[in-house]
Order: sequence, then structure tokens, then C-alpha cells
Amino acid sequence: MARLLMPGQVVRTEPSGQACRVEHFIGGGGQGEVYRATLRGDGVALKWYFPHTATPAQRAALAALIRRGAPSTRFLWPVELAGGDVASFGYVMPLRPARYRSITDLLRRRVEPRFRVLVTAGLGLVDAFLQLHARGLCYRDISFGNAFFDPDTGDVLICDNDNVGIDGDSTSGVLGTPRFMAPEVVRREAWPSADTDLHSLAVLLFYMLMLHHPLEGRRESATASLDKAAIARLFGTEPRFIFDPNDDSNRPDPDVHRVVLSFWPLYPAYLQDLFTRAFTAGLRDPRGGRVREGQWRAALDRMRDEIVYCGACGAESFASVVAGPPAAPCWSCDAPLTLPPALHTGRRVIMLNYDTRLHPYQLDERLAYDFTSCAGRVVRHPALASLWGLRNEGGSGWVADRGAAEPFSVPPGASVVLSDGLHIHFGAGDGVVRAPTAQTEGQRAEAS
Amino acid sequence: MATKPADVQGFMVRPGGTPSRRPLHLFWIVDGSGSMRADGRIQELNFAVREAMPELRRAASENPSVDLLVRAVAFATGASWHVPDPTPVEEFAWPDLRAGGVSDLGAALALVATELRVPPMPERALPPVIVLISDGRPTDDWETGLSALAGTPWGARAVRTAVAIGDDADLEILQRFSGRSDLRPLRASTIESLTSQIRWASTVALGIAVAGEAAGVPVPAALPANHTMPDVWGPE
Repeated sequence: MARLLMPGQVVRTEPSGQACRVEHFIGGGGQGEVYRATLRGDGVALKWYFPHTATPAQRAALAALIRRGAPSTRFLWPVELAGGDVASFGYVMPLRPARYRSITDLLRRRVEPRFRVLVTAGLGLVDAFLQLHARGLCYRDISFGNAFFDPDTGDVLICDNDNVGIDGDSTSGVLGTPRFMAPEVVRREAWPSADTDLHSLAVLLFYMLMLHHPLEGRRESATASLDKAAIARLFGTEPRFIFDPNDDSNRPDPDVHRVVLSFWPLYPAYLQDLFTRAFTAGLRDPRGGRVREGQWRAALDRMRDEIVYCGACGAESFASVVAGPPAAPCWSCDAPLTLPPALHTGRRVIMLNYDTRLHPYQLDERLAYDFTSCAGRVVRHPALASLWGLRNEGGSGWVADRGAAEPFSVPPGASVVLSDGLHIHFGAGDGVVRAPTAQTEGQRAEAS
Repeated sequence: MATKPADVQGFMVRPGGTPSRRPLHLFWIVDGSGSMRADGRIQELNFAVREAMPELRRAASENPSVDLLVRAVAFATGASWHVPDPTPVEEFAWPDLRAGGVSDLGAALALVATELRVPPMPERALPPVIVLISDGRPTDDWETGLSALAGTPWGARAVRTAVAIGDDADLEILQRFSGRSDLRPLRASTIESLTSQIRWASTVALGIAVAGEAAGVPVPAALPANHTMPDVWGPE
């Protein structure tokens, strides 16, 4: 197939006039093709438009995006326009590092990230779109083709940002991706906007966490041919959430939709409630009914705090789902779960797993999400493997006390032994360590 | 008025008996060589072991399925039983140890090994706990003694920990005694740290012996609110 650009071909950035040399084709889409190229000695990505999409309006929109700059580093944002002696134009953006995988890889199960990674990726995505929407912009085409994540860390990148525009300005011809479009867009009653982005984002999150579409239940499995009319009906005129509490007509088909039935019960009720809202009220009321990024962010953040591990097989569960007492068995290996102690900070309950790190934003609610900086971490005593502590990884001392006993200091680098009722003042915030209820001998004795 | 369980019209209100228990044998192997006379070390050791007892009793009482039995071997020139009988922890009293002589660790290990055969050990028990406390280097063939110990069925399964007193203790030998990377020798340079290290070594090893080896992912646990362990370690 003929390509728009050839390896070795040089295009010029505008207005700086730097040479951008094409190396090889990376991928193509509906609007153009993406190449790996070299600019000022660095590898970059170069998107080049098909002649029919290379409109003056697109060019003006790109120039506006470049002027504005990226809402956050999670966007592979256009950095320079490019043109040359060829028809059409394109733009230069950062390359996506190879460690980032697509949501399609996730759905095809070519990557098997842990729940913590998935939840972290979801948090990164909703935070990125919050930044975008907060600037008065809308993305218009949130789908699994445009979001990428690192299956080891949960870092996310959002690509194909050239459809981003001012919210409410419908000059872009993009409607979105089937299955991700909001019902009112499917019905052609509205253009993509920040409100419709919220629907697409909810679908993307559901896909990531449940590996399934939230509106594909029995009505989908009973449809012999998923033709244009059927798609318009399932996703536009008669959308029904598969777990709609007031309408069970579109429940998952146990034969066809096994995966979502196994994932759904593993998640906390507050997340299930948000999905229920997003795909019941949110289908009917684009402005007031949809779940906003801040709500997703709070739920995903809470989920990250409450992950626990099965001691027998290492599988993750969410503490509020399994806590009991008595604790539920592990969903993966059926072994009885033993819960670790938890740090109660007033706003949060952070499970203290063997690998838990405390981040400054968890202790000081005024700080922004940042998983890279570390305030403390769960550690084992260096010699006595069954003794556990919380090491002060910050720059200033903590003060701790055990109720009646005298307070004592925990200088940077030192570790405080985890005990039931231990109160730690971290400086910006404080918290109490609690042993799991089901395991405290004293509480068991009191209860009996 | 409270009714005694066994006293309602002469019948018991609930079946009698207590849950089955397994013995857990704790051995202290303590260094009584001449070097322990320096700086009042032997007095510190006597003090520290007595200080460790309440925590040990508490830990034992929290495990209703365990009968904790304690005894001690001292080594200097040769080795001998310092507390020969397996003594229930509630009744255990530490007699003062006196220092003098060389450092025949191997003899002490061989002596403990004789007690880890079946019999006198029962077939059904918990892994024994052996805590070695020393301030120097062995003067005899300690490796043969360690082989003899590890060659017995219960010696091989024992949870072995070591406490190094002062800066002259041979940490490598103490690590070989433990035989596992997650139980490195605990170093004690002050009387406070000696007390806490003996307490930790004994109680934590006890916990491992009772709980068994963790498989899969380790799940942290919090100590009870009324624990008497030191609150902080490090910085490392």
C-alpha cells in the first residue's frame, strides 16, 4: 500500500524550519498516518494527514493546541506543525515508549496487569481528562485506541490529541468510536463535548476493569447480526446497563458474558454504584447524571488504598469486599484470607501490605496525586522476618504513641513497630494503626 | 449468682477437657566464657534474660495451643546445662550465670543435639526454638557441633536465631548457625539493646515456630496494643 511519506523523506517543522527526517511507518488511522522520525537528533512521532483531512480548520486547530500546550505530561501532545514540498501537512509529537501497551492488549489478554496497576492506570486516565476538561477542552474520541498504559506501573499516556478542541465548539467532524459514543451522539442529537467525554470515559473504565462493555448483555447476545440498526438500538435509542438495578432485561448472558460476571463481584460496592449511576442516570441525563472525573478519582484512589493480598497465592482483593468478619476466602485459590493491619487517617483506610508505600498526598489531603514520592513504607525487621514496621522515608521525624505510653520519635530512616492502636503523627497528618477486627484476640474474646 | 459449669444438677453444661496442645521447646545457648567477664557483660546477660521473660510469657499465653518449655545450656570450657529441665515458661527462673574459661560453642551445640533426638523429643511437637547468645569466636570445632544439631529431626526443623554481644562476636558464624537469610544475627552493644534483642529473638522465633513458614505473599501483622517490644528500630 502506498504511504503518504517515504523513509528518508524530509519535512520541515513550522515555523522553525527544522528538518524532520522520516524513518519508518508506525501506524495508520482514519485521518492519516504516523511515522517514526528524527528531529534535532531525537526520535519523534510524525503524524501526516490524508489530503482530504488536511483541512485549514484542522491546521488552525493544531496550531491552537500547540500554542496552548499539553494539559499534563500524560498527553502525547502536538509540539510542532510540519509541512514541506509535499501536499498536506502534519505535526510532531513525542514518541510513545515501547513499555506502554494498548487497552486492546488488555482486552485480548496479551498483558495481565495486577489490579493495583489497573486501578492506578484508571486513576491516571481520569486525572488526565480532568486536567483537559478543566482547561475548557474536550477530547471527543475517548476509546481503547487512544489510551495506553504501562502494565508494570500503571502509568498512562493519551495519544491522538489532534481532535481535542474547545468544549462546545463543534467544528471538528469527529463523532467518536462506536460503542464509546454517548447515546445522544449515536442518536445524532449532540456533538462530542466534555459531557459526552464523560460517557466515553466511563465505558473505557468499565472495559479496563471488567474486560467488557457495560451495555452488552442478553440483548446483545440475542441479536443475530450486529448491524448498523442493532448498534444504534443497543448504544443509542435503547441502551440498558447490564447491571441496572431496576431493569434486569439486559443482564449478562452467563454463556457469552462469563468474564464480566466473574469480575463484577470482586469490586467494592462504591465502584459498582458509580458504574450503575454512569449507565443508568448517565445515559438519560448527559449534564447532571454522569459521573464526573473527581468522583472516579476518589473511588479509584480509595480502591488503591484497600488492596490486600492472599497470603497463599498472592492474588489481590479489595478489603471492603472481603473483610467480614469472617474474611471471605480468596477468589483465586479459595484459601482463607488474612488481612494485614490498616492505617486509619480519618479520610482514608490504607491497608498495610508487605509492599505498601505511603505517598505524601495520602497523608496531606492538600497535595496532588503523586505515586512517585514516598513518605513511608511497610518493612520487615531486617533480622526478624515476622516483625513488621513502618519506615519513615521522609525528611522529618514522626512522633508516635501507644495510648497511655509516652510519645516517642521515629526519625527519618527509622521504623516504628506496627501494633494495634499505634498512633503516628506524620507532620502534615496523622493516623492510627488497627489490626484487622477478625484477628484481634481481645476483640474475639469480647465478642464471645 | 454465677453457676459453675460442672455444677448444674450434677451434670456438666458443656463437655470437659482443654484443647490439645503441642510442646514448644525453647533452648537458650549462652556464652559463659571469660570474655563475658569484661565490662560486666555476664551481669548484663543475666539481667537481660530476666527482662525478656515477661514478653515471652505473654507471647506463650496468647497461643493456647502451645506449651512453651524453656531450658538453657552454658558454654565456656566445655558445655553444661544451666537449666537442665524443660521448664514451663510460667515457672521459669533464670539462675545467675558466672563467666570463665574458653568458648566451646561446638560442645554446647552437641549437647543440645542429644536432646533433639526422638526420644527424648516427642514425635508430635512444634519446631523448637534455639537462641544463641555470644560475644566472641568459638574455640572448639563448632561446625561438627552444628552438623550434629542439624542432623537431628527436630534440630533440622528448629528456628535458630542469634544475638551478638559487643563488637567482637563473629557474625558470620552466628549467621551460619541461623542458616536462613531472614533471621540475621541481632547485634547488641548496650544493655538496653541486649535486653530488647533477646526479647525479640526469643519471641519472634517463637512466632515463626508457632505460625509455620509463610508461603506465597507475606501478610504483615500488628503486635497487640499491650506489647512490650521496643517501638522503633533503625535507622539502618
